[in-house]
Amino acid sequence: MSLSDVIFSTVRRALDDAGVAISDVDSVVLGAHDLTDGRSLSSMVTAPAAGAFGKDEVRLGDDGASAFVVAAARVRAGGSRCGIVAAWGRASEGDPDAIANALFDPFFTRPLGMTEISVSALRAGAALARYPGYGSWRERAGARRAAGQEPAGERATAALPLRPHELPIWSDVAAAVVLGAEPGPVEVRGVGMSTEPYDIGDRDLLGLPALRAASRQALRAAGLAIGDVDVLELDGLTLFDEALALEAADVVPAGGGMEAIAQRADINIDGGFAAGYCAPAMGLVRICEATKRLQASGTAALATGSSVVAAQSQAAIALARA
Amino acid sequence: MTTGDSSEPVPPLKLAGHWDFRYEYFAGDAASRFFAELGQGRIMGTVCPQCQRTLVPARGFCDVCYVETTQWREVGLTGRIETFTILATKFHGLPDPPVVIGYVTLDGASTAILNYVQGVPLDDLDAAGKQLLGQPRVRVRFHPQPEGRITDFHFEVTDDPA
Amino acid sequence: MTRPDLDPPEVAVIGVGQTPYRRRHDATTQDLVRAAVHEALTDAGVAMSDVDIVIAGFAPDGLAGENCPDKRFLPAAGAIGRWSMRVNTGGTTGIAAAFTAMDLLEAGYGDIAIAIGVERMAQALDVPAVFNTIFDPIYERDIGISTISMCAMRASRMMMRWGYTPEHWAQVGARNFAHASRNPLAQITRPYSAEAVLGSRMLSWPIRQLDACPISEGVCAVVLARSAAIGSTARPVAWVRGRASMTDTYNLGDRFAPGRPDLVDLLSLRDSVNRAYAQAGLESGLQADVAEIHAPFTSAETMAYAPLRFCDAADGPELVAAGFGAWDGRPVINPSGGPQAANAVGATALVRLAECALQVRGRAGERQVEGASLAVATGQGGANQFSTCTVLSSR
Repeated sequence: MSLSDVIFSTVRRALDDAGVAISDVDSVVLGAHDLTDGRSLSSMVTAPAAGAFGKDEVRLGDDGASAFVVAAARVRAGGSRCGIVAAWGRASEGDPDAIANALFDPFFTRPLGMTEISVSALRAGAALARYPGYGSWRERAGARRAAGQEPAGERATAALPLRPHELPIWSDVAAAVVLGAEPGPVEVRGVGMSTEPYDIGDRDLLGLPALRAASRQALRAAGLAIGDVDVLELDGLTLFDEALALEAADVVPAGGGMEAIAQRADINIDGGFAAGYCAPAMGLVRICEATKRLQASGTAALATGSSVVAAQSQAAIALARA
Repeated sequence: MTTGDSSEPVPPLKLAGHWDFRYEYFAGDAASRFFAELGQGRIMGTVCPQCQRTLVPARGFCDVCYVETTQWREVGLTGRIETFTILATKFHGLPDPPVVIGYVTLDGASTAILNYVQGVPLDDLDAAGKQLLGQPRVRVRFHPQPEGRITDFHFEVTDDPA
Repeated sequence: MTRPDLDPPEVAVIGVGQTPYRRRHDATTQDLVRAAVHEALTDAGVAMSDVDIVIAGFAPDGLAGENCPDKRFLPAAGAIGRWSMRVNTGGTTGIAAAFTAMDLLEAGYGDIAIAIGVERMAQALDVPAVFNTIFDPIYERDIGISTISMCAMRASRMMMRWGYTPEHWAQVGARNFAHASRNPLAQITRPYSAEAVLGSRMLSWPIRQLDACPISEGVCAVVLARSAAIGSTARPVAWVRGRASMTDTYNLGDRFAPGRPDLVDLLSLRDSVNRAYAQAGLESGLQADVAEIHAPFTSAETMAYAPLRFCDAADGPELVAAGFGAWDGRPVINPSGGPQAANAVGATALVRLAECALQVRGRAGERQVEGASLAVATGQGGANQFSTCTVLSSR
């Protein structure tokens, strides 16, 4: 399938799932990266594949969860009654390491061969040094994530201390949702976003302050405490990123993230990073997963998405079953 | 440890860079079949079951009706120039000038397809432009060794009446 | 603009900051961004601590040679600790960034936002080759089309349908250059004559060098505020009375069928104008004092005339010959000089908005159109696939 075919079939299915005709749609918000799509201004060819013909469409060069936030804003502001949100990344068409290396500044960081996996490795090293629980629980946490069916794709190149099964599988990923003003099975109750510095050396690698701020905003807007949330779908590039995300979202205290993944069955149940990964689709994938889980049996969900350059910005969405 | 004030001018630093990302684009079923047919001397379009347009080049869905295209239909090998331009300046990575490119609606197609147009003298660009503004008829010429690329054919202006 | 049947505006432009537009800037992107943002905040009379949201527009990454360059410069625009996102929609990027900020403000997700449009295309040594990659790799890239040749094909079509000639477009160019000579920020300030345009190098018939925009770098920043957050203020604001955007099909070849809007009817702009004008209570573009038209080519400017309701399409050549858009008439087209004089791709559509905002707020300095209170700004992207229209008013 061509990239356009992948996008068309995904969005088409979302429309069919929603029981909505393309003529009912008045807004399209997309998340995609030129370099991942292999073409500059990729949305010229991809936006029509996502249903954008004749619509008010915008493409963010950012994670799908931020696209979702913009789409939700359009509905909330009254400008849109029914919108498509879609995000995709097709890892198989290009070289993920080369593309990731180009994210870093050409003077100080790129020449050192830095990638986003390397930043995760730095986080992992810091976590292993500070939190004894990370060392003792990583095997079992990794085994839980590895238990699901392995998706098509290639495992990311290892970076010590990360082990292969703690790394994402670079896959072709596309996600789409339909959201609107009419009552539906799942409601958007609150959103939050925040941003960290660009330079890795300026960041709090373990604290994930952008995620902390974003999830607090979303939950506060929703009138929920983290204890009310029974569906957790938190984006993380590797096992360690997911573990740290749990702490940043106040699900567990500092140092308890790896144990939580090992012990709990209610976090990223599709396997998270191990189920196939390609930016910038993942925040929208988490939202899709949260929505499906709420429709099945959950009450309230927290779904998050992180942007490139190693989660420089984060978006958090609080959803609830209607 | 040296100290010094920042008013000493430092020559500005520039870093040469080279982007060499390689991609392998998946053409998809519709384009794959289009090029296979092209290699056999046929130009094919797909038909939208809703608006009934014959879309050339072939594609997997109609983006106006937002449905999959289902049928294939062969279109004619003659058509009309809808619009054109004459590339006059050499840019790195693009073909040598002067060369005409244009959109042509082939007989039986609902949409126009882009390719090179040959057969117009290009020693005087304004004269060539004037001739092409008359929207002359063209015919398709196939490349003797097709490669599965759009350059497996081009258009040639004919004397046939419109 | 106080018709009771119209919705009151929800958002306004309260500050503008721009770097000069130049072929090449030596400063870092972060420094350029900081300078433009600082100027915009000062102009708005607000502090960074008042800002909730920062939206960056950056057009193809390839032009900067950096993957997602926005992440590196967003902190310089105040993004740390705030909501931030990057928009990438080609030529409309700058205005799409502003519209996204407006969507978020109108939803109540913040009171004050900064939108910036950034361009560093001098970092690319092979700009046309980068632009060539925007086209479909399967069916089109081998034909070596470019933004210039796509525009030339529209120009040819306008010649066929409406009788435009290169002379008409040279006149448009000369008028834009004349206006640019009053704009200290413009890259090209030499008032090239129509003869000079017609004598310049042919790029892609019928488009010549001086019909086309220059390669430009620079940053444009605007401060946007929710009406409720503005309250009563003595500072001049530019109210957003109408705004709309539409995306057309990608395939140029799909726009020649009889009975359907033609390639040069510019459906996406026509639709955007219809909605923006309806929101603003405008019947015709001739009611505006100023129009900043995002047209990187002289012929593209005339393609916008009918959608903007300056005239019927076939009357365009006559309008041009009569000197439409010049300083002594109304509307004045591109008092900034427009994209002919500076076209920083990631910023340019936002620059159109910013220049209109300066005009209706009376802050346009030497290029101020006297008494301007109503202005229209357009945006075009992706070889005229994406179009936007914004109506700004001082009331």
